Amino acid sequence: MLLIIGFIGFPIALSLALTLGFTGGLNQIIALIGQGIRPADHWWGTMAGYQALFSDPRFNGDLQQTIIVTVVSTIVVLVLSLAIALIVRLHRGRIAQLLGAIIVVPMFVPVVISAWAIHTFYGGDGFVRSVAALLGLQAPTLTSTMWAVIIGSVWTSLPFASLLVTSGMQSIPDALIDAARDAGAPMSRIVRTIMLPLASTQLIIATTFTSIGILGSFTIPYFLGSNQPTMLGVEISNFLNAYNRPQQAVAMAFVIFVFAAGIAIAYVRANLRGSATEARA
Amino acid sequence: MTEGTTTMADTTPGLRLAALTKSLGGRRIVDSLALDVHPGEMLALLGPSGCGKTTTLRMIAGFLSPDAGRVEIAGRDVTALGPERRPSAMVFQQYALWPHMTVFRNVAYPLRVRGVDRHEITRRVDEVLALVHLTHHRDSRPAQISGGEQQRVALARALVQQPDLLLLDEPLSNLDAKLRVQVREEIRTLQRSLGITTIIVTHDQDEALSISDRIAVMHDGRIEQVSTPSELYARPATEFVAQFVGSVNSYEGVLRDGAVRPGPGTIAIRPEHIEFRLEARDGALPAVVRSVVPRGHFHEVVLEREDVTLRAYMTGRIPDEGTRGWARVQQALRYRDGHLQEVVEGQA
Amino acid sequence: MNARRALREIGIGALAIALMAFILGPILWLGAHAFATSWTFPRLSADGWTTHWWHEVFADSALAGAIRTSLLITPVVVLISAVICLPAAYAIGRHSFPGRRLFLIGMFAANAFPKIGLFASLAALFYAMNLMGTVIGIVIVQLLGTIVFMTWIPASAFAAVPRSLEEAARDAGASRLTVFRTITLRLAMPSILVAVIMSFLASFDEAQGSYLVGAPNIYTMPTEMYALVENYPIQVAAVFSILLSVPSVILIGLARQHIIGGRLAEGFQIR
Ligand SMILES: Nc1ncnc2c1ncn2[C@@H]1O[C@H](COP(=O)(O)OP(=O)(O)OP(=O)(O)O)[C@@H](O)[C@H]1O
Ligand SMILES: [Mg+2]
Repeated sequence: MLLIIGFIGFPIALSLALTLGFTGGLNQIIALIGQGIRPADHWWGTMAGYQALFSDPRFNGDLQQTIIVTVVSTIVVLVLSLAIALIVRLHRGRIAQLLGAIIVVPMFVPVVISAWAIHTFYGGDGFVRSVAALLGLQAPTLTSTMWAVIIGSVWTSLPFASLLVTSGMQSIPDALIDAARDAGAPMSRIVRTIMLPLASTQLIIATTFTSIGILGSFTIPYFLGSNQPTMLGVEISNFLNAYNRPQQAVAMAFVIFVFAAGIAIAYVRANLRGSATEARA
Repeated sequence: MTEGTTTMADTTPGLRLAALTKSLGGRRIVDSLALDVHPGEMLALLGPSGCGKTTTLRMIAGFLSPDAGRVEIAGRDVTALGPERRPSAMVFQQYALWPHMTVFRNVAYPLRVRGVDRHEITRRVDEVLALVHLTHHRDSRPAQISGGEQQRVALARALVQQPDLLLLDEPLSNLDAKLRVQVREEIRTLQRSLGITTIIVTHDQDEALSISDRIAVMHDGRIEQVSTPSELYARPATEFVAQFVGSVNSYEGVLRDGAVRPGPGTIAIRPEHIEFRLEARDGALPAVVRSVVPRGHFHEVVLEREDVTLRAYMTGRIPDEGTRGWARVQQALRYRDGHLQEVVEGQA
Repeated sequence: MNARRALREIGIGALAIALMAFILGPILWLGAHAFATSWTFPRLSADGWTTHWWHEVFADSALAGAIRTSLLITPVVVLISAVICLPAAYAIGRHSFPGRRLFLIGMFAANAFPKIGLFASLAALFYAMNLMGTVIGIVIVQLLGTIVFMTWIPASAFAAVPRSLEEAARDAGASRLTVFRTITLRLAMPSILVAVIMSFLASFDEAQGSYLVGAPNIYTMPTEMYALVENYPIQVAAVFSILLSVPSVILIGLARQHIIGGRLAEGFQIR
């Protein structure tokens, strides 16, 4: 267990030190070869690295796009996985079964391939534009835009989210739904007042994992997104490899981390609340 | 009030099932079932596990649509309506309380979905909660209250809808024996005072006999007999009913001169209709006490006679094992092809 | 009434079909390219069909090498991950010790830290430890991605094994170890299997870190993909994609979907 802590916790601590301008110890080599390092000027380090970052319009553009893509994709994923879960839970036909089976497929497709498949499907001479052209229409090329990144993020996140939400919905006993129908509630109301609250833990988990995953994603925006602005995951890699500015790269990682941590706190809260209610049951 | 209108009112049943049929998984679970329940009556649907009680109840409530036949509630054909549009309310076997809502909100739910106004909801819910003695648990969650209390919340949730028909699916099976007796009396009192037509599903004959006006005995998707509890016990219309309600000694043959002799049909004798004494008398045959098992307020005594072995229930002075005496059948039920032919009374 | 119901059925059917098309469309489209001679926009079918690209991939030593590397590294990673994480999972699932919840939350937080940032600082560490461009470096990087799966899913499975079942086995005369082997482990097995599969996929698919640490010395299949996309015709990438998906498809067969669904959902709840 210590090993686990060591291999994740230690590098994170180390990089936090780097963003604050501590260039000694194990950070020495990276600080030596890196450019644009702002060294510590207080005992706790320096905020100069972060200040430089936030005054950079490029970073702000990236941050904005990252947030938009994350929010939009998460909402779409949530809505779709709810729809899927409801179809599977309430409909139960053959088509619902098939849907339940097909929807997990992207989970087993390596992300690189997902990205590439979506690239060819929605790209300049891809399927979507081919069909449109055959119909005499001019469809936009979605690749290298934010929209392709959103499509890709939805595509890759959907299986996990819908598995979670579906299993949440499946665990609601039939009798609880029947009782509401017997009480005179129409389906839409049952979904809203009975099913959603009872599956709320799974919904929150799905939201958290989806948004955190998209927030720090690299492969999808790398293949599908525009060059500028791009998502922070790609920009971190650019700053690290192409521009050799490790301090900024790692600082960006911490910015993402702050957002992710906010989401994570909501998640932990939901979990604790969940186990508390179960403990009482 | 003319006689005509009275008859009209009396003949509109609270619930009418006509030729109700349902197959599930390729098997016929409910088979052209017909049943009339009088308005304000409490009818027990009694039958062994798997005979189709829940299936029938779910068709009445509207969760299952029948393959054929009709459901009428208070004279109105509701066969095509979903459960949310039927004037019936159901109490589920596991209560089906929504865990994320308080007791109050659980009970208020049916009114809220009907768009009843806030004050009216509060008034009616509080009234019903008082009726089931749960006012003090108004703001508790289902997980925080006992099984008996949960049961009453479920009942309150049904009653608050002021249904024309109340459906109870084994409402007491999750309670311990003592609580069961207490709650079933409460349900009975409430049902009487509110005058709601009620069907209670049970496989517990004690329960059925003690709280219902009439009992419908179900077997393999059909109704075997509908009668008052005492009639059902005294004159079970079929062999199945005789065996399922109460207990019987049953033999192939006929009763002649107090003895079971070979013959067409079946003889069923209730254990309490066997009289054992030490002295000989008319219609009695010599018998030996083989075993005596105390069963609470009576004893179960196995008597061996030359014709058959009899299980008898005895109270008062109980003979020891090995005692020799005379056993007489006071009353027997005679069946041909499973149906009751006559009740044979032994000589007094 | 019936018309409305029919309309709803149609709506649900249409939605379901649209979703399936959304999911399967890109994969099928790319898959078709693996057998295409060439493809002219805007035709919906290739100009001709061939298996030429498959021969090309297998003949190319760099590509074949990447396949070998991946098939070698991934099982090692999963094995090490299991050896390290399963005892931890058992401890977390079965015992409550001070800081247990903190540990879980910490692990979750670490998981929320963007991987690429983690790799950046890991790279610093690896430079210092001379692990850049080595297999060990790649194994460590891939290990990181598997930890969450290998700890959480089995931990909740261990926690879910009813004590009474173990007690019954003890009562029947089984030793502690036998109980663990025949009851606890047995009941947790489906979840462990799911964890192994998820770890396998996570490790097999890992590209960013492996690229950062491995390139230009060592290429795994996914990192090779990056290079491929830029330097080879699309058909080669398509062939490679299909090859890359083979292990996953086999795993789908091993783990039936409902097992994964339920276990995954249970696995991701901190208790
Ligand atoms: N959806 C279904 N598909 C196939 N068979 C079913 C289905 N639902 C019920 N059955 C069968 O129908 C029969 C009657 O079921 P039902 O639940 O009505 O019995 P019951 O009389 O309520 O029994 P119990 O007293 O055990 O509750 C059972 O044999 C059951 O297996
Ligand atoms: Mg039943």
